[in-house]
Amino acid sequence: MVLGSYKTAICARAADPGILAKSQDGGIVTQLFAFALEEGIIDGAVVAGPGDEPFKPEPIVATTVAELLEARGTRYTICPNMSMIKEATRTYGLDKVGIVGTPCQIQALRKAQLYPMGMRSVPDKIALAVGIFCMENFPYQGLETMVEDLCNVKMESAVKMDIGKGKFSVYTERGAVSQIPLKLTHKFEQGGCHVCLDYVANLADVSTGSVGTPDGWSTVFVRTKVGEDVWGRAIGAGYFETKDIADVKPGLDLVTKLANEKISKNQKTLEERATFGVNKGLRNPYL
Amino acid sequence: MGLLSYLKEIFTGKQDAPEAPVAPAAPAAPTKVEVPQPAEAKPAQTPADVKVEQKPEETKMEELPVADKITIGHVHMSGCTGCLVSLADNYEGLFALLDNYADLVYCLTLADVRDIPKMDVALVEGSVCINDHHSVEDIKKARENATIVVALGACAAYGNVTRFARGGQWNQPQHESYLPIGDLIDVDLYLPACPPSKESIRNVAVMAYLLLKGTDEQKELAAAYLKPLMDLAARGVEACGCDLMVDVINQGLCMGCGTCVAACPVRAIDMVYGKPNIDREMCIKCGVCYAQCPRSFFNFDVINQFEAIGEAIDAAMGKGGE
Amino acid sequence: MAKVVEISPTTRHEGHTKITMQVNDAGIVERGDWLSLTPVRGIEKLAIGKSMHQAPKISSRVCGICPIAHTLAGIEAMEASIGCYIPDDAYLLRVILQCANRLHSHALHNILSLPDMYLPGTDTHINPFTSEEPVRSVALRIQKLREIGQTVGEIVGGEPIHPSNPRVGGMYKNITPRAKSKLYDLAKEALPLARDHMEFMIAVFKDWDARPMASVANGKEVEKTEKFGFHDQGYMAVDPLYGSSSLDIEPRWFPERWTEVRPWDWYQGELEVSLEDAEYPIGGTTPVGTKVWPAMEACTGVPLYDGSPVEVGPRARLAMFRNYDRKGAMGLQIARQMEYMDCLYSMIEAIDAVDCSGSVLADEIPQGDGSLGWAANEAPRGTDVHLAKVKDGRVDWYSLLVPTTWNFPTVSRALEGAPWQLTEVIMRAYDPCVSCATHMMVVDDSKRVVAQKMFQ
Ligand SMILES: Cc1cc2nc3c(=O)[nH]c(=O)nc-3n(C[C@H](O)[C@H](O)[C@H](O)COP(=O)(O)OP(=O)(O)OC[C@H]3O[C@@H](n4cnc5c(N)ncnc54)[C@H](O)[C@@H]3O)c2cc1C
Ligand code: SF4
Ligand code: SF4
Ligand code: SF4
Ligand SMILES: [Fe+2]
Ligand SMILES: [Fe+2]
Repeated sequence: MVLGSYKTAICARAADPGILAKSQDGGIVTQLFAFALEEGIIDGAVVAGPGDEPFKPEPIVATTVAELLEARGTRYTICPNMSMIKEATRTYGLDKVGIVGTPCQIQALRKAQLYPMGMRSVPDKIALAVGIFCMENFPYQGLETMVEDLCNVKMESAVKMDIGKGKFSVYTERGAVSQIPLKLTHKFEQGGCHVCLDYVANLADVSTGSVGTPDGWSTVFVRTKVGEDVWGRAIGAGYFETKDIADVKPGLDLVTKLANEKISKNQKTLEERATFGVNKGLRNPYL
Repeated sequence: MGLLSYLKEIFTGKQDAPEAPVAPAAPAAPTKVEVPQPAEAKPAQTPADVKVEQKPEETKMEELPVADKITIGHVHMSGCTGCLVSLADNYEGLFALLDNYADLVYCLTLADVRDIPKMDVALVEGSVCINDHHSVEDIKKARENATIVVALGACAAYGNVTRFARGGQWNQPQHESYLPIGDLIDVDLYLPACPPSKESIRNVAVMAYLLLKGTDEQKELAAAYLKPLMDLAARGVEACGCDLMVDVINQGLCMGCGTCVAACPVRAIDMVYGKPNIDREMCIKCGVCYAQCPRSFFNFDVINQFEAIGEAIDAAMGKGGE
Repeated sequence: MAKVVEISPTTRHEGHTKITMQVNDAGIVERGDWLSLTPVRGIEKLAIGKSMHQAPKISSRVCGICPIAHTLAGIEAMEASIGCYIPDDAYLLRVILQCANRLHSHALHNILSLPDMYLPGTDTHINPFTSEEPVRSVALRIQKLREIGQTVGEIVGGEPIHPSNPRVGGMYKNITPRAKSKLYDLAKEALPLARDHMEFMIAVFKDWDARPMASVANGKEVEKTEKFGFHDQGYMAVDPLYGSSSLDIEPRWFPERWTEVRPWDWYQGELEVSLEDAEYPIGGTTPVGTKVWPAMEACTGVPLYDGSPVEVGPRARLAMFRNYDRKGAMGLQIARQMEYMDCLYSMIEAIDAVDCSGSVLADEIPQGDGSLGWAANEAPRGTDVHLAKVKDGRVDWYSLLVPTTWNFPTVSRALEGAPWQLTEVIMRAYDPCVSCATHMMVVDDSKRVVAQKMFQ
């Protein structure tokens, strides 16, 4: 159950090389939204658009493929996509909303749909929720420290950042790569991530991440009826290249392993929080 | 030409756009729904396709047994009727609710019953002016007469804008003290927000129905669904945007999703470097930012079943295919 | 000797009120007081010291049926005080909101009125909640019109119940072209529905007017009187649709013509109920022997315009701007239905005119020097006047003269001459919204002195 319930797991990448060029991994998120937009499955999607500082994303409501393309690539810092979920249905006039988010953001979305106290007219307008795997996130200043101090790269000259194979890597315009071991980054993690019990966006319609599949490819879980429908249509239309997940290395075993690690580590944190002080604990949101 | 067709012509115009009445899940029972009268439980036919899934993996749906409707009342204290309008904003769903699940036995704004009758669920809107003895009597009577008392909306739950009240206004300058209903009576459920969305009121109504009239499994699901709202009621009568600081950020739980921003009805919250900043001069103390935050409560047992529960509620309201 | 009879609480309107009457042997009202029992939350007083941005958000919470009117009147009173002119596109968005609110509110009021009415040509009262046809289709159409109004309110206002998008200085956000075309489609969809619905409702109200006998829902039929619900008060309205403010070049409301008196001078003194009808639906009237004291119990004051009570609302607007002249309770009901189409035509015009790329926030938002500003908004139920003084961004003084407050004394007069059993029909014709109407501004001297004090 650490991978959530899903109908299928696939190794995939976008068929459009233009999308792949600047995507983080297999361009799944951007390709799927582009397809959904063209097909009228969504009217637009809340994605992490460019912000006013380098690698500091701002949630935007993208209603064109061009805007989706602008938002490609992972920014390892907080992008409060849920903050736009209502506005998308208001002054943007969307009836069918797509949203991409980390597991916690997708949890927030599902809670907003089931307990929509302050979310009038939002629940039934969610047409496609794409989740991205996430081990942890970093506050902007933490990311800045990792990139500028530990990796010696000016934020402005970074073109891509990536986490994988135990390392945090920063790629620059001039083609250089700067890497630090992941253990150096832990201290900069956002505290709220340490109680998170979801690695692979269990509650998304479709979730995706890099882990488990070769570079340039993505691991995809198709989870819900909505996800199944959209994914099936996109495959049918030739929008994705796929491989059997059983045939690729390292495969789902690694995803499961990492998910287990995250969940057990954070379960432990929750336990420690319960006895954090002297006869006093910290709050547990899951009780 | 018969009266019926004459009337139909008046309101459907010529030939086109005849408003096919949106059929509830099953044809409505031919029972006549009167302007609700107290203590007049009417057997209602229940849609055959209300289904609830217990486990996400299972695709088997439970059949809802034919059962009586529950009785619901709307008790108006010092609120603005916005919460009631929100209930009415279920549009045709309001009729689906009233046809199949609930008799509205008391609601001064919509029906003629003048005294608070016995009822299964009292939706209380507004806080209580303790300087007005009528209000105090009414809230006590609501508690006495209802099995489940719901604080419908921010004023009832937390005081909301009436927290700022301090009297001094003619013609009743002594009306200066307003209390959330939980300060005077035991409250079973909170449904915070100003106003609570139409969908959230609908969900609570359907769940209350399942809780009181459903099968054992449905009761279990409904109880699980309602539990966090009971916990909110137990948590206390004070709410503020400050709760995000005190009970989420300070507790090391905020992860910057931005849900609180979208939920705030007065746009008092914006995100500053990934964490909410609350404009405390805008905040009206409605409590929805905290309630909506995924780190206030997050009940996996229910939310993991979001797909099935969503479908069940849609089916209950006569929406959706299948 | 006149007998005292009281209906308390009244039903099928917003808020808590009662009607205390002295009736003759035939049961005809000789003196009637309709008064608010809704606790006074004291918005005017609690606003003092709050920021000018928050105060209108609080006053929106005065009423959840016409929150758009209160938000706009509140914000515009602040803007009038600080001298802030908003961009045209912000104004257009507010006009769209205004129309949306009126559409939903009038339609909601139909649901509250119908139970006293009859299916034309029959003696059957209309229960809007019955699943039987033809009523169900009417009810669904009402809900559809409301849905369209509320959805427009959602898109433009952020929320239809307590809109979040309007702010001092304009609006937080303009709409996108997609939203604009969605709004347009919604308004177009509503047009034919509204036309048919208006005709249906007018037929129903005319049918009632033509009956010699009538009853409230589930009540006993009594003979109607001629001139049912007539009164001789004047009308007050500032605009057929939107409003006026002290920033206008030619303002259409005049604070110096307004006076307010305490209910003490206006309502009946202490009385004892001497007539009771346990059959009056549902739950009977106040028991014989109960002591009542309207002047003491009333929760609102009595605002006067040129020294007299006035009627505000749909008929006042139509009378002042379109020479409408049908009197009586049904005259007012019919006027309300006649506003449906203009809600939509004006909405469409405003939608058409919005420039989605235009700014909707004033470049400069002054902080205020304590000058008086006022804004009168034509809320669904009538003129909603908010007056404010803002200094250094904070509210120094705030007053709300909301529609139902204006109408209380007028309705009280309109009850006279009617059989007491039908007085709720008259009261309901005014579409009371009483949570709003909890206002009282103390004016104990001559109005001129006060006017000078306040408007210097
Ligand atoms: C903080 C974080 C941690 C991650 N950790 C892991 C991990 O441990 N293992 C793993 O396999 N994958 C992880 N991912 C996911 C991975 O980095 C890719 O985002 C994912 O594989 C999608 O790539 P793509 O090529 O399909 O998407 P693209 O086509 O590149 O699109 C990426 C989408 O994600 C959105 N996005 C970018 N940054 C954010 C953000 N900060 N918050 C919300 N949305 C954002 C973009 O707007 C865009 O729509 C993480 C992502 C983030 C944001
Ligand atoms: S919570 Fe909001 S909508 Fe409900 S009564 Fe209070 S002010 Fe009105
Ligand atoms: S909703 Fe909760 S977790 Fe999300 S940003 Fe707001 S306070 Fe943080
Ligand atoms: S910050 Fe907003 S949502 Fe939170 S309590 Fe205040 S008004 Fe309500
Ligand atoms: Fe606070
Ligand atoms: Fe109102």
